[in-house]
Amino acid sequence: MAMTAFRMLLRDWRAGELGVLLAALVIAVATVAGIAAFTGRLQAALEQESHRFLAADKVVQSSRELPASWRQEAQARGVAAAQTLSFPSMVYVGEDKMYLASIKAVSDGYPLRGQLTFSDQPFGEVRVASAGPNSGEVWLDSRLFPLLQVAIGDSVTIGEASFKVAAAARSEPDQSSSMFGYGPRVLMHLADIPATGVVRPGSRVQHRLLFAGSEQALLDLEAWLRPQFKDGQQWRGIDSAQPGVGRALRRAEQFLLLAGSLAVILAGVAIALAARRFSERHNDYVAILKSLGATAAHINRLYAANLLLIGFCAAVLGCSLGWCLQALFFALFSDALPIAPANSGPLPYVLGAATAFVSLLSFAWPPLGRLAAASPLRVLRRDMPITGQRSVADFGLGLLSVTLLMWWYSGDLRLTAAILAGLAVSVVVGSALALVMLRGGRVLGMRAGSIWRLALAGLQRRGSSNAIQVVIFAMAIMMMLILVLVRSSLIDDWRAQLPVGAPNHFMINISAAQVQSVESLLQYSGIDSEPLYPMVRGRLMSINGEDLTNTGDAEQGRRQRETNLTWSAQLPEGNTLLEGHWWPVDISEPVVSVEQGFAQRLRINIDDQLEFRVGSQPLTARVTSIRSLQWQSMRPNFFLVFPRQSLLGYPATFMTSFFLPADNKPFLNELIRRFPTTTVIEMDIVVEQIRQIVGQVTAAIELVLLIILATGALVLIAGVQSSVDSRMHESAILRALGARRRLLLGGLLIEFAVLGLCAGILAVVGAECSVYLLQTRVLDMSYSPNPELWPLGLAAGSLIIASLGVWSCRSVVSTSPLRVLREL
Amino acid sequence: MIKTENLLKQVEVAGGQLEILKGIDLEIKSGESVAIIGASGSGKSTLLGLLAGLDGASGGAVFIDGVELGSLTEDQRALLRGERVGFVFQSFQLLPSLTALENVMLPMELVGSADPAGRSENFLRRVGLGERMGHYPRQLSGGEQQRVAIARAFAAQPDILFADEPTGNLDTETGSLIVDLLFDLNRENGTTLVLVTHERRIAARCDRVLQMDSGALVEAR
Repeated sequence: MAMTAFRMLLRDWRAGELGVLLAALVIAVATVAGIAAFTGRLQAALEQESHRFLAADKVVQSSRELPASWRQEAQARGVAAAQTLSFPSMVYVGEDKMYLASIKAVSDGYPLRGQLTFSDQPFGEVRVASAGPNSGEVWLDSRLFPLLQVAIGDSVTIGEASFKVAAAARSEPDQSSSMFGYGPRVLMHLADIPATGVVRPGSRVQHRLLFAGSEQALLDLEAWLRPQFKDGQQWRGIDSAQPGVGRALRRAEQFLLLAGSLAVILAGVAIALAARRFSERHNDYVAILKSLGATAAHINRLYAANLLLIGFCAAVLGCSLGWCLQALFFALFSDALPIAPANSGPLPYVLGAATAFVSLLSFAWPPLGRLAAASPLRVLRRDMPITGQRSVADFGLGLLSVTLLMWWYSGDLRLTAAILAGLAVSVVVGSALALVMLRGGRVLGMRAGSIWRLALAGLQRRGSSNAIQVVIFAMAIMMMLILVLVRSSLIDDWRAQLPVGAPNHFMINISAAQVQSVESLLQYSGIDSEPLYPMVRGRLMSINGEDLTNTGDAEQGRRQRETNLTWSAQLPEGNTLLEGHWWPVDISEPVVSVEQGFAQRLRINIDDQLEFRVGSQPLTARVTSIRSLQWQSMRPNFFLVFPRQSLLGYPATFMTSFFLPADNKPFLNELIRRFPTTTVIEMDIVVEQIRQIVGQVTAAIELVLLIILATGALVLIAGVQSSVDSRMHESAILRALGARRRLLLGGLLIEFAVLGLCAGILAVVGAECSVYLLQTRVLDMSYSPNPELWPLGLAAGSLIIASLGVWSCRSVVSTSPLRVLREL
Repeated sequence: MIKTENLLKQVEVAGGQLEILKGIDLEIKSGESVAIIGASGSGKSTLLGLLAGLDGASGGAVFIDGVELGSLTEDQRALLRGERVGFVFQSFQLLPSLTALENVMLPMELVGSADPAGRSENFLRRVGLGERMGHYPRQLSGGEQQRVAIARAFAAQPDILFADEPTGNLDTETGSLIVDLLFDLNRENGTTLVLVTHERRIAARCDRVLQMDSGALVEAR
């Protein structure tokens, strides 16, 4: 029996009967495995890439000295460790030349991730360093050379120690994470710190202990370290250190998962369609076998063995193809993705193989399993009803297995639910609507010309199978629309956060007397800048008379906070009012507007009374509004905004941010020379790094979108193919009766175009529902309707399906009707 | 060998029941050749389907060698067909994915007979297709396809052969050749032949001719 099954499989294969099903399966497996492997490798690579921002995988940050035992413990656990120490200090040359620099002392092994770069001469050719400065040497920011009038080889003094200037410091991976990143950088060796004598208990310093290792080792280390943390010590990863990058990566990851999940659904649909056609074609086959003496068990075993063999072949072929696919992507787009892909592991291929077997079991087996019930009488009477038609239970089983596959694949229940909700709308409302539309079409068609009557009669005659076909087309178009929409809003959202020309430098500590001159200089030099915001340093002491504690984790909970207060007559640009009202210009009552996250952390509500201490003076204000703002915008952003009158009389400095192109960097020297008491924070490297990551992620998303579009097209082709036999048969009869080519092709064109149009309408409605849920519930983005979707969905539906349909049936007008009738 | 008692077949149609066979009593002896003739829609093919166990009766009984087909399950009837019955159909009913040789081998493979390939090759040569064993049905003419079907029917050495309008899809000349072949092989193998046809000329070659008329059977000769 097994031999018979194998022989029949081989014969079916040779005759091309299995080709369609096997091709659908192989493509499904290849798509799922390929996308999973591609996204897996990309995610791992992006994760590694993002660690450049930390110069490590994880970091412990503290204002106190960190115990040496921690570093030893990490090394004992197989985790690489390094240490940095940052603080602001004066750098002297001789007696008269000095400049406030941002000093960073690094241990051997720094950086653990990313690259440290230097140049032999200031502003010279950038080179990658294998290690930081040697003991007794310093690397100076290129800008410091003219300011201090030194050259390579000269000496500079920090505190009580002198150092030889060995190189120009160009960039560090974790440049942005230093609290004291103001001013030009001086890099030195950690071992030289004691000699300088500048770091004493109570000094404003930032200690960082850097770790890099396997995920598990880091988790174990974290579990060991956390209980020992004291006030102000923090364990940081990429999410907490660079929320902008973290958020971009998280969303990209969700997008890639979404794309993969859609691939799973599309693959399932393609297999279902192919299996249905396969089983319909095999009805006669089974009837002959039964008339020749095959029993039901015999036939079941035959098809089960066939499916197993097909599944095995599809898994092997599909996984190999999937591997080639992802390798090809990385090879083709290595320029667009300058990061080296990481290893994806076997999971994507296991997932691909599982998709093959689960799809076969849930989509292909139900109709094939019913083939055993086919009546042998079909050998005498071709008009016997075909068994193996889909039942509601089949759809239920298919939906369940796709849901489980998608959930397993994405690991995200909300994402799975959002897609299923859109699908449910398409399927349930869609089937009903399709039937109504198709029936309505028949009424119209009765009054129309012969081409239309032919087309609309055809639509109605195959009413329920057409409704299913419309739903399948709608699903494929919907999946493609969802992906196009989410991709566009995701990329737009990133670009909106960091538009070209976004501010990349902050200037702080501007005195009230300097405001006018700074504004004039920026304006005169053609520098694009934000308005100057006042900053009053204040400490939140109590809420509604309840005193706040002074201890606890600096980042969390209800405790005293020292922060910058500002004033503004209008709601600052980029802010959105969530609750309450903005104040009128002439308000005299002391009031305050609070940022949403700050309000949540401290449980502050509208009308609460907040008490601050500014220097030694008290300040009480009532909360009148809660705002949201974009922290990634690189504009001056404030937790607390007051009306001008409320802060008058408190000491204020001013700040602004501006965009300075890389070739205009020397302007900073002029700015600092004119206003030596101010501080400029250079964020351009960070902005550039974030932009680079976003660019890489965008390229990846575009690629994945292409694969999904190709899979969607495959489903559309399979959908059209599944109904071609009966349409060809009818058209051949009509042709034999003398119908002209124009009538036949016109009728087919209209029939498929109407199906496509119905599918397009459903797809747009389903896509809007899914995108609404995805953006508001999963991707944490705002939603707005997409009117541009309607023409796109409707045009895609009717044009693509009409062309595919006519193309698939074209042989009916080029082959003799007798041949078509004989072959079908 | 084949016997029916008050065989009835009714089908549900809009507005009531339609009687296709109205109490057929019939007996066919072993080795006998019987033609069933009648106009289109008279119930010939329905009767053939019931005699071969391809369909169930609405009433009455069909016996093959004393075994009542109605008492058998669909699978038991399939086994009976595999072991004792051969078919030749109007539309040939060859499996398009199998070659001529594989089509002939198939019933023997299903029942696990010895040397299906050798026997199949012999019969294909006997029907004049020795050179075309590796061809697929679509590469063969209608007459050639029917010859493959005849080889398939006889290769399994059935006791009874049911032929349903075996020349219905063929031109007159080819049809005659096929009928000659069918009767020659039937004689050589001593098979019981039940032949449904609307051509009196072919029916006349059988030992007995039965006429179907509106669901009832009358002896024509």
